[in-house]
Amino acid sequence: MDRDGGIVEANTAARALLPAAAGGDRPPEDLPDWLADAHRRMSGGLGVTRLDALSGAIGERLFEAYPTPSTDGDVVWWLIDDTERRQAEEILRSEQERAAILSEVSSTLLSSLNVAHCTEATARLAACHLADAAVLVTPAQGPCFSLTYARAGGPVTQVLRAIEPATVPGLAEALQGLPPIPTQWIDPGDIPPWAIPEGFAGPVGSVIVTPLPGRGTADGALILLRPGTARAFSESEDGFARLFAARAGAALSAARLYTEQAGITATLIRDLLPPQLGGVHGVEYAGRYRPARDDERVGGDFYDVHPGADPSRESLVVLGDVAGKGLDAAVLTGKIRNSLHTLLPLSHDHEYVLNLLNAALLRSRHSRFVTLVLASARRRGVRVRLRLTSAGHPPPLVVRGDGRVEESGTYGDLVGAMPTVSARTVETVLAPGETCLLYTDGITEARGGPLGGELYGSERLKRDLTGCAGMPAEALVERVHMLAAQWLGQGRHDDMAVVAISAPRAGPLAVVNGEGRPGKTRKRQGRSS
Amino acid sequence: MTTPSPDFSLVVTAVPDALIVEVAGDLDRGTGEKLIRTVAERLTPDTAFRRLRLDFRHLTWIDSMGLSALLMVHHHADTAGVGLRLDRRPDFLERLLDLTGTFTYLTGIPRAAGEVPDAGAG
Amino acid sequence: MTDSGNATSEVRDRLWEAVLDGDAHQAAAVLHRGLDAGLDKETLLLDTVGGVQEKVGLEWAANRITVAQEHAATAVNERAVTALLPPAPAADGPERGRSRGRVTVACVDGEWHAFPARLVTEVLQLRGWQVDYLGPQLPGSHLIAHLHHTRADAALLSSSLPARLPAAHAMIAACQAVGVPVMAGGRAFGLDGRYARACGADRWAPDARAAAAALEAGMAAPDPTAARQAVDDLPHLADQEYTMVVKSRPQLIERTLADLDKHLPAMELYTDVQRERTAEDYAFIVDFLATALYVDDAGLFTDFLLWTAEVLQARSVSARCLPSGLNLLARQLHDFPRATAMLRGGAAAVAARFDSDPGDTT
Repeated sequence: MDRDGGIVEANTAARALLPAAAGGDRPPEDLPDWLADAHRRMSGGLGVTRLDALSGAIGERLFEAYPTPSTDGDVVWWLIDDTERRQAEEILRSEQERAAILSEVSSTLLSSLNVAHCTEATARLAACHLADAAVLVTPAQGPCFSLTYARAGGPVTQVLRAIEPATVPGLAEALQGLPPIPTQWIDPGDIPPWAIPEGFAGPVGSVIVTPLPGRGTADGALILLRPGTARAFSESEDGFARLFAARAGAALSAARLYTEQAGITATLIRDLLPPQLGGVHGVEYAGRYRPARDDERVGGDFYDVHPGADPSRESLVVLGDVAGKGLDAAVLTGKIRNSLHTLLPLSHDHEYVLNLLNAALLRSRHSRFVTLVLASARRRGVRVRLRLTSAGHPPPLVVRGDGRVEESGTYGDLVGAMPTVSARTVETVLAPGETCLLYTDGITEARGGPLGGELYGSERLKRDLTGCAGMPAEALVERVHMLAAQWLGQGRHDDMAVVAISAPRAGPLAVVNGEGRPGKTRKRQGRSS
Repeated sequence: MTTPSPDFSLVVTAVPDALIVEVAGDLDRGTGEKLIRTVAERLTPDTAFRRLRLDFRHLTWIDSMGLSALLMVHHHADTAGVGLRLDRRPDFLERLLDLTGTFTYLTGIPRAAGEVPDAGAG
Repeated sequence: MTDSGNATSEVRDRLWEAVLDGDAHQAAAVLHRGLDAGLDKETLLLDTVGGVQEKVGLEWAANRITVAQEHAATAVNERAVTALLPPAPAADGPERGRSRGRVTVACVDGEWHAFPARLVTEVLQLRGWQVDYLGPQLPGSHLIAHLHHTRADAALLSSSLPARLPAAHAMIAACQAVGVPVMAGGRAFGLDGRYARACGADRWAPDARAAAAALEAGMAAPDPTAARQAVDDLPHLADQEYTMVVKSRPQLIERTLADLDKHLPAMELYTDVQRERTAEDYAFIVDFLATALYVDDAGLFTDFLLWTAEVLQARSVSARCLPSGLNLLARQLHDFPRATAMLRGGAAAVAARFDSDPGDTT
């Protein structure tokens, strides 16, 4: 090319590419602007002898242009067709982008098992990466659907409303899990107002409707929207939307499954959870339970307090331990707790109750046995009278006001393995501030200690309890669990249950005139007993 | 959850009228089942054994599932018409049998006349 | 200000007496009289109940009250709070729309001191938040299941025991991995919250009021794609010193006791109980050493040692043996430069404070 942009000479390939140039126009009208500009700079006397990599389109194809200046001011331009390589690079870039999007989708959605959260995240990511706006439609009850609206960079809103899916082309099919209708077939004018998020810019230009594959059937459908002012969805974007929906659908259905399972488990174990204890007829009760496995909520230990019909009647406290751990053992504790509940009217005779329970367990096909303690408690004046019976279980401990710790003298056979049960019931009286402690062997068989591997043991428990005189029931129960937990460290352990029965230190009348110091009363009684 | 203690072992010896099983290690959920199977396989209803002796000299621990296994072993022995003996019981086993009132049931020996834990070496 | 200040301190003094007496009725009555005198519930909770609870801890450390009294006092305080603020309606249900938002308050796994978390819960409820309070001794898996279920706007984790910092760290990361931001609070995270930052918490709050303010300012959800492991936050863990000390804890303690027997003739006169107490003291020391290695902060270890020495002195147990024991531990860990430096530094600090011979036995 000469100084003025005229073609001096062109080879066959160049003539085919730029027919006007071959015709000798000056400057040739089909010379692309980018090349004309570059030529002006090269030959415009600005002393430019080198240009950065130069490239641009000629017609449908992409070229790189390399100039070779000659001494007379003409420039020879070598044009190299680069279309295929550029297209390949473009595809690669878009693939990498899509892989990154899919990876973000997966890690965002997999991090949560909450259905609402997954739904919101799906709509947000779709609006952000795939379209200008997205609507996620998931079935709720009856004609109602949960609709999640998202705009790119805008807020995500969820509403529950009755809609007719057939009003959106392809939506009814997508919700049934039928193959999606190609985006080109959907008339944007057919989209009803409910399917367009608030604040969407202008009339809808193009639409993708794709199912969210779930467990077997579709768990919902995704509607993607672009306004008329933007480029229409391409076929490849349609395909990518399906891929995105597949990932989102898998995550959503995992979240649904988890929610359902968690709900079922919660319902099933509700009756197996240990009860909340408190004051009953002037006697304080507290209980605390720690299952063997931290990921379980129930296990083989259990306790209950069955209040007496009125304050003159005894309340029955039960604490027991079924051999075994986990849900398996918990199911049996449920049966035993029910049996004992029906035997309540007979609880004036502990041994008789134990024998009836024994017979019931022998009849069932369980090869498991249970050890337990029965305690009948009744307030008399400021004191609490107790009848205690152990059936193959560690005997209860009584923490006296002066810090002495007594082992109650009850003993008896375990229940559910032998033809009959014999047991010895003992009686004791708690003065105000004194506590009777029922515990399972998970406490005393906790292995650990500073040197590791050592049993906590009943002697150590008794010694530690001597420092606990006068503690309220709930504080004592917490204290015992804490001591066992500290002894254990990170070690494995069995189920651990503790119940405390206390004669309250301060009656409701003690606050009159701020007198009547219950603490001092306790100490006097402690010394005299 | 319960992994068998690594050094658990059962050594089975048959003498003319008795089957002797030496139980070593921890007797708990996992190992208890092994003991039950070992006994059940050998005590068929037509067995010639008159006695089953469990030797606990090398027992290191027993929990409630281990006791449950002993009750099952007793059931199998009883069904086969074989008497059960618990030999060389360590203190912790003695305490568990006392606490649960199972000694007499398992062995048929009244507790008051209870044998000394070290008696009956074979 | 002075008027309400006076009223607050008077209620606090009365409450302290009731709590020390173990009298829950009286404690509740004191708080209700405070209400009648015009104090608001938040002031009563934080400045009287919270103040009394703090005093309980200090009095125990100074050996002026027993462990039993400490527990009893906390139980009375808990009941007084319940009497002042009856339990809120169940956390589930359609409340969400009407509250400021929903948050979960939990204690770090292994934490028994639930009272500060309880106070935070009550304050946030007073300020209009829907709060799920999960209480003490909460396994991490239950917290995460709860967060999946409720979709909390934030999780507030409380810990008073620095030894539980590694567990706190794991819980913080687990909450963030399910997209829930975490605010850390409690003594374990340091007076200036430095360990909360080290463990990657999104926020740290020195007290309940600051926690409420931080929530009101808003907490952004963490990027769930940025899941990470402990060593990403604390690269020094790669040197395995923490791992080594945790794994060989029983052996370290046993060996130290055996060495003390040889070096301190007085040990021979110890009863079994005294021996066990000494073993427990060294178990605590090794746990704190492990934690100090975990967060790579020698100050944490030295502070603990000085506090231990003071607690021992308050109980008429001499802290004189402490430097010797620390140096014996250092000798066992000679291959581990961070641990050795912490132990030697700690021994010197205790010796300097209590004017005893550092007893270097190497």
